[in-house]
Amino acid sequence: MSEQTVISIKNVSKAFKIYRDKPLTIKEKFLKLRSNEYSNFYALNDVSLDIKKGETVGLIGHNGCGKSTLLKLITKILYPDSGEIEVNGRISSLIELGAGFHPDFTGRENIYINASIFGLSRKEIDGKVDEIIRFSELGDFIENPVRTYSSGMYMRLAFSVAINVNPEILLIDEILSVGDANFQKKCYDKIEGFKNNGATIVIVAHDLGTLEKICDRVIWMNAGKIVEQGDADRVIDLYTQHMNKKFVEQTQKEYINGTMKQASGDENPQIAAPKQSELEFSEDIRWGSKEVEIIEARIINRNGESTNAISAGEPVTIEIDYKVNKPQKEYIFGVGFYTSERVLIYGNNTEIGKLKLRSIQPRGTVKFQIDECNLLSGHYKLNVAVVDGDHRALDFIKYYMDFSVVSNDKAVGVLSIKHHWEVD
Amino acid sequence: MILHMFKEIISYRQMLISIVRRDLRSRYKGSFLGFLWTFINPLLQLIVYSIVFPYLLRMNQENYPMFLFVALLPWIFFVTSVQSATTSIVGGANLVKKIYFPRVILPLSVVCTNLMNYIYGLVIVFSALLLTGVHLTLNVLWLPVVLLTLFLFALGLALNLSALYVRFRDLEHIVGVVTFVWFYVTPIVFPITIFPQKMADIIGYNPMVPIINSFRNILLYGKQPEWGALMYSLVVGIILLTIGTWVFRKSEKTFAEDL
Repeated sequence: MSEQTVISIKNVSKAFKIYRDKPLTIKEKFLKLRSNEYSNFYALNDVSLDIKKGETVGLIGHNGCGKSTLLKLITKILYPDSGEIEVNGRISSLIELGAGFHPDFTGRENIYINASIFGLSRKEIDGKVDEIIRFSELGDFIENPVRTYSSGMYMRLAFSVAINVNPEILLIDEILSVGDANFQKKCYDKIEGFKNNGATIVIVAHDLGTLEKICDRVIWMNAGKIVEQGDADRVIDLYTQHMNKKFVEQTQKEYINGTMKQASGDENPQIAAPKQSELEFSEDIRWGSKEVEIIEARIINRNGESTNAISAGEPVTIEIDYKVNKPQKEYIFGVGFYTSERVLIYGNNTEIGKLKLRSIQPRGTVKFQIDECNLLSGHYKLNVAVVDGDHRALDFIKYYMDFSVVSNDKAVGVLSIKHHWEVD
Repeated sequence: MILHMFKEIISYRQMLISIVRRDLRSRYKGSFLGFLWTFINPLLQLIVYSIVFPYLLRMNQENYPMFLFVALLPWIFFVTSVQSATTSIVGGANLVKKIYFPRVILPLSVVCTNLMNYIYGLVIVFSALLLTGVHLTLNVLWLPVVLLTLFLFALGLALNLSALYVRFRDLEHIVGVVTFVWFYVTPIVFPITIFPQKMADIIGYNPMVPIINSFRNILLYGKQPEWGALMYSLVVGIILLTIGTWVFRKSEKTFAEDL
């Protein structure tokens, strides 16, 4: 039923010219003082999309993926380079709040200016002005100049106008962080109300939880293309997984760069001089006789790389490099995980593992291998230690390093537990 | 194309009204005399010019203050319209980049605001005319026609310049220089008769000449406008307006990116 389609986007592409140095004046243009070279950046690349009447559609994707450009094309702020966009119905966009507000005018006067920019006639505004004022909760302040408002009041007024325009199509871009929790709830109720009245809503947000709640369909965009679309929870799940993976990769890259920098810094004798022992911790974090010393500890991911970010569900290895300065009768190596609030979550050692270590190499590596890391998303601290048979600390580093875990499990707490629900 | 533009303006007329009203009122908002400045400004100009210019130019123009004033106010309307309309799109970048509305509202509202200012100024014009004993005739009723000609001419320029200014920022200065020269090739502070005949003929092609002359004819001399000459200005105005609409339509789609 094509008459139900209110927004129809067909093979739309939009490129922005990225000028290296754009000539702005005639002099510059003729004298070629600035080069006119540019490269094209495709914000949208052959996107097709139909949005039906009454649908609530969410757009997700990381910054620069083209979702805001798509909204701007729908409102006709921008025009596509190729392709067609057809929109049937009055659009109100919550993209820009407080358009045309003049600080010296009262709130009431500004309502008239602002609403008129949305294309409302005087009569329509007259009919809505009381509702707008009531919604903004500004009370008597409405007769004061807007410049006397706090920023919260200003945004509330602006939002009230925009949301009371009663559009057939509502476009929302990242602005639902207005006001206190109460006001936000009111806004969501209002949006819910629009939905029930059959309005079409297109919303861009980073708050995935909200999107999952209010959207019928979610569209995931990347590099100007639609990656995936469909039921909100399915697409958001896919997106979260993707983002988690990306986060781990990104952190991994930064971590490697960081350690490389440190390594190259060490080669420089002037900088390295004061840093003779590479592990420096304050006394309340590291203690022990140093008869056995921990030289280095590492978290190794599935690909065998040293890292500080782990994807839950994958195998992980903790490696401890040690050096024996004075041989002991027995050695016990241990690892532990703390939350960022320094609460112990898990600890284990070779003794618990029934591994009696009476004599070891003077230098070596102890590995703690985890088949499947089932910590939940969060930031954690790694604890590594070596003690002797009487549990006297040889080298105990309580917080060796910070690491993060990303997990697709949305449960709260610190650990994933295998489970299923049943209701009889 | 023009029809579509016109329809859009009609549906956004409240925005036009709101912006004009806001600009008129905000100009003097917070000042002690407030809206009275709309009248005091031209009055002060009238006094200064009528003291300075006769002394400088040594002309014996009858009722020189009114001779000047009747022409100066339309000129001010014209020049401030064109100058501030030129920068209107860039000045409204915030709106243009964030929200949809017919872009033409921006230059249009500037010209309308200045038109309103001129109309308010007429209160001073008419009282001064009566005070200095000028005999007003029914030809005053042609005022709307002359004003409309001037309005269309100014709007035509405004559309062209505001659209082009987005890409060529030199225009602001060029417009400043051109209007400065234009002021002296338009018989405002002196009658056109001070030029030699040959030059006066050339200056006659300046569309502002018939318009300014018409203002003098109907307000000061109680005559009808010289229709032939005024028609020439009107035609130039309409041509400019047509080109302006075309230029504006063509460039407005990329305003949001070019700003």
